[in-house]
Amino acid sequence: MSDTRPLIEMKNIDLIFGTFQALKDVSVSFDSGELVGLVGDNGAGKTTLIRILCGMHAPTNGEVYFDGQKINRFNPRLAIDLGIETIQQAVGLCNNLSIARNFYLGREPVKRRFGLPFLDFEKMRKKSESVIREFGLRENVSADDEVEILSGGERQSIKIGHAVEFKNRVIIMDEPTNHLSVREREHVNRLAVQLKEQGLLVIYITHAINQVHGISDRIVILENGEKITDIKSRDCTAEELINIIRHGGRVGLAENRG
Amino acid sequence: MTASSYKQFFRQHHEILVVGVAIVLVALFVTISRGMWASPYNLASILQVTATLGIMALAESLVITSGEIDISVGSTFGFSAITYLGLVPHLGSAAALIIALAAGFGIGALNGFLVVWFRLPSLIITLGTLLIFQGLCIAVTAGFSFSIPWAHRKNFVYQVLGGGNFLGVNTAVFWMLGLFILFQMILFAMPYGNRLLAVGGSSQTAHSRGISVKRVKFAAFALCGLLAGFAGVLEAGKLGFADGSMGRLMELQAIAACVLGGCALAGGRVSILGVLMGTFLLCGIQSFLVIMGVQPQWFMLVLGIIVVSAARADRVFRDWVLRGA
Repeated sequence: MSDTRPLIEMKNIDLIFGTFQALKDVSVSFDSGELVGLVGDNGAGKTTLIRILCGMHAPTNGEVYFDGQKINRFNPRLAIDLGIETIQQAVGLCNNLSIARNFYLGREPVKRRFGLPFLDFEKMRKKSESVIREFGLRENVSADDEVEILSGGERQSIKIGHAVEFKNRVIIMDEPTNHLSVREREHVNRLAVQLKEQGLLVIYITHAINQVHGISDRIVILENGEKITDIKSRDCTAEELINIIRHGGRVGLAENRG
Repeated sequence: MTASSYKQFFRQHHEILVVGVAIVLVALFVTISRGMWASPYNLASILQVTATLGIMALAESLVITSGEIDISVGSTFGFSAITYLGLVPHLGSAAALIIALAAGFGIGALNGFLVVWFRLPSLIITLGTLLIFQGLCIAVTAGFSFSIPWAHRKNFVYQVLGGGNFLGVNTAVFWMLGLFILFQMILFAMPYGNRLLAVGGSSQTAHSRGISVKRVKFAAFALCGLLAGFAGVLEAGKLGFADGSMGRLMELQAIAACVLGGCALAGGRVSILGVLMGTFLLCGIQSFLVIMGVQPQWFMLVLGIIVVSAARADRVFRDWVLRGA
């Protein structure tokens, strides 16, 4: 792996739904070991951009490279195989299933008996149990408990733990701290920094700059489907960035300062 | 056992409610009917009805678990029954069985195809196929009924397929038990079951984990048709004749049995034991009403009351076990 090549490179991406252009000529790249804040107001195109990375939309125009390889087909399975995992508030866990079952959903380990595939419950429990302990869930939660009984923060922790256990290379967190208590929010943000320190690429989507400015290396701002800012976090203050969003990108950093 | 650990047990075994109700009702029936309900003859007949309705309810529960509904199972049942009976005299039981099962599977697959690939609501699609195949049943039988000459009923395969008894009960009962054990394994101990439950619980999550929601739902519909068809074959074997009205309204009883058994109509929650007990309760109540000399029409009314109360009781029970978890 060369050091100069970015892990993900998106070039001149357009995405058009019917008559609506959701993304306009967006070019952006991401490196391993980086925590990037992807910021923008509601409807700016953050989630749409990310959905291309997780294979749910194919771009109308433009190219996407992963680790130098051009991506030609976009489907969720491929994104999973490449090690891209998205953590979303509403999606990612089935409330009706136990933690252990959720953990291996879609790649269930099996033991063959009489040629039939039976779930390997022992393995499922063991690994999810270790994540439950490692990612700070309550003491009395077991791998056999349904997700239904977990708090919002615990659910996020499980999803993040899942992404780590499966040795993913890219973790996309889509508004990961909405509806969380202050303590849980800090816990999730700490996990995001830990993941980055382990060498993963973390893309942290939020509409609140303050949320991500302190923990990120770089901030990318989208507005109306266009990229309007891409800057190292230490080169600007949160207030300056908020001002950019407030003016819909019509004000640049320099004018802002002047 | 502490309070929270038995709540966890109830949370994971919601069929406990219907099992409890079944025990109470059986005790009541036995006492009130002064042994008539529990006579060996009556029990054997309840079990036979439970077997065919139970397999149909099992079929329905697969589709319900996936978050859809199939109200065409009654006509799938009837269509397969007529196919089987119409062919037994010409082709023998084994070949007739295969063709009847293929018919059931085909109807299920058609439902699945229309629901999954045309993204149409399953209630509407299966209402359509319900009418289509009910119409075909009536057209094929042309107002008459198919029946099997006695000579054919002696045949071993025919006897095994619901046409005879084994250990004092209809052979269909053993098929039902076998299928319930098989589907208990498939649903709770195999990857397909895990995915089916996930699709019913949150199809978006299932999709995001790379599961083909379409394929899982299609398989549920196809299996449903296959099982409903098999139930039709067993019932036809038992009766030895079939007319165009066979299976009519049975879809409603099958759905009622699922609701009684603690299946969530929104999907994602199912209990095989619950479905079995739900079916047994319905059949037991029906038989009790007959024994007590109640007009059969009243069964529908009782059925309705039971379904509504079951839905309500299930909600109360669920809220209780989730509280303070």
